[in-house]
Amino acid sequence: MNFLQKMGNIFAEYYDWLLQGVGYTMLVALVGTIVGLLLGILIGTYRTIPNPQNKFLRALKKTGDWILTAYVEVFRGTPMMVQAMVIFWGYALVNDGNTMDVIVAGLIIVSINTGAYMAEIVRGGIISIDKGQFEGAYAIGMTHSQTMWQVVIPQSLRNILPSVSNEFVINIKDTSVLNVIGFTELFFQAKTIVTMTADTFATYLAVAIIYFVLTFTITRILRFVERKMDGKKNYTMQGAGNLDADAYAKTQAIGGGNNV
Amino acid sequence: MCKQILQFCHLGKTFGDHQVLRDINFTVNKGDVTCIIGSSGSGKSTLLRCANLLETPTSGEIIFDGKNILTEKSHSKYRQKVGMVFQSFNLFNNMNVLQNCTVGLTSVLKIKKQEAEKIALRYLESVGMSAYVNARPHQLSGGQKQRVAIARALAMQPEVLLFDEPTSALDPEMVGEVLTVMKDLAKSGLTMLVVTHEMAFARDVANKVVFMDEGVIVEEGTPEEIFQNPKEPRTREFLSRTING
Ligand SMILES: Nc1ncnc2c1ncn2[C@@H]1O[C@H](COP(=O)(O)OP(=O)(O)O)[C@@H](O)[C@H]1O
Ligand SMILES: [Mg+2]
Repeated sequence: MNFLQKMGNIFAEYYDWLLQGVGYTMLVALVGTIVGLLLGILIGTYRTIPNPQNKFLRALKKTGDWILTAYVEVFRGTPMMVQAMVIFWGYALVNDGNTMDVIVAGLIIVSINTGAYMAEIVRGGIISIDKGQFEGAYAIGMTHSQTMWQVVIPQSLRNILPSVSNEFVINIKDTSVLNVIGFTELFFQAKTIVTMTADTFATYLAVAIIYFVLTFTITRILRFVERKMDGKKNYTMQGAGNLDADAYAKTQAIGGGNNV
Repeated sequence: MCKQILQFCHLGKTFGDHQVLRDINFTVNKGDVTCIIGSSGSGKSTLLRCANLLETPTSGEIIFDGKNILTEKSHSKYRQKVGMVFQSFNLFNNMNVLQNCTVGLTSVLKIKKQEAEKIALRYLESVGMSAYVNARPHQLSGGQKQRVAIARALAMQPEVLLFDEPTSALDPEMVGEVLTVMKDLAKSGLTMLVVTHEMAFARDVANKVVFMDEGVIVEEGTPEEIFQNPKEPRTREFLSRTING
């Protein structure tokens, strides 16, 4: 039997295991990316709140800023595999040895880990938005959070979508580290299958192909979403009876700029 | 009879140790069209930005409808009544023309979408931009953008509208269309406070002109007083520089 046939056999024989692995991998990657993005948006919004006048509120805001910085630095500065172990077994320690549900644990770990990266990505997206966009919104009476949700975040999201896609792809691959807490994602399934087939190479090659198909498909889909978000290239004029700019200017000559 | 609507009392503003505004005192009456003139760096924008609370004054008071707005907690309520038009338009890039004009109505004033669109269309029509409801800001010329920005501000039905050099970022051939809109607004009785370098506009449209230099109001008066009979040497010097230069 050559290894192609062996791989084919693995797909045929263990497809339900593999599918389950794919399901869990995608679940945790998707939830982790979305929750992480939401965390990032909340943190980004919080960090851009103008400094309060009130001394007490300002101290409170500073403390919050400090905590968020610590969160971002710690979760970006340590491996997710270690975070998974610390959180999973830390929970068990304070709960008399009862462990967390592995699925729940996996979702939480990937979400807060992604959140730390997203916070920085979103912050970059927000500070790249022109100050004039904020002022335009403030000037019509919008509050800071209205300004963020309706004006700034939609624009930042479009700008950071490539980085968010990238995080999603990273998550699909990196959730493999959750096998250390027994989370039955794709890599965990591969390890189990190897114990039965004893064919390490063919099994992991099969799994590599699956990972690649997943990440490649997701990348394409998100590209498509990016193009959709950019909208139509052209606009349509409404109502033939309306004057256009030139006609309007000509119909109403004024003692303005030109004849000083 | 004049009813005062907006009043600046001993207003001051410093950035670090740089005093940009010093003891600014003047009053805007209902229906006034006040033009603020002065060379660049004299503090005109800062004054207007203070009037909209985009900058926090470091001393003095701003009285609107009899209340000092600097002591009010929420800026939102005040800004609904005192709108602002910027030199750089500041249209929302993620929205089309119509949405730019409705977002304040729906999210700030809590007006239903359909009703908001009706209101927005009315003002877009008044600035000659109702044909462009579907366009995005980047698809418009500068003059068109500024007219949409004016419609956006008007849709909130403000009591006072502030303009910070609304035509300074425009190509010369587009200045006229924006000034036309502003002249119409002045005629309609809107209270306007306009920072401008368009001396002809100040002369023909304003009923009050304020000349600023180095953070202080040097002179204020009717357009005739300022343009034909300036009392202060600094005003005279500025005018001869801008009008002949
Ligand atoms: N945010 C700021 N920080 C520090 N200095 C500022 C700031 N905004 C304006 N200034 C200074 O205040 C002075 C007046 O500026 P501005 O009000 O923009 O003048 P104008 O609109 O009359 O040209 C200038 O010297 C400018 O450098
Ligand atoms: Mg200025």
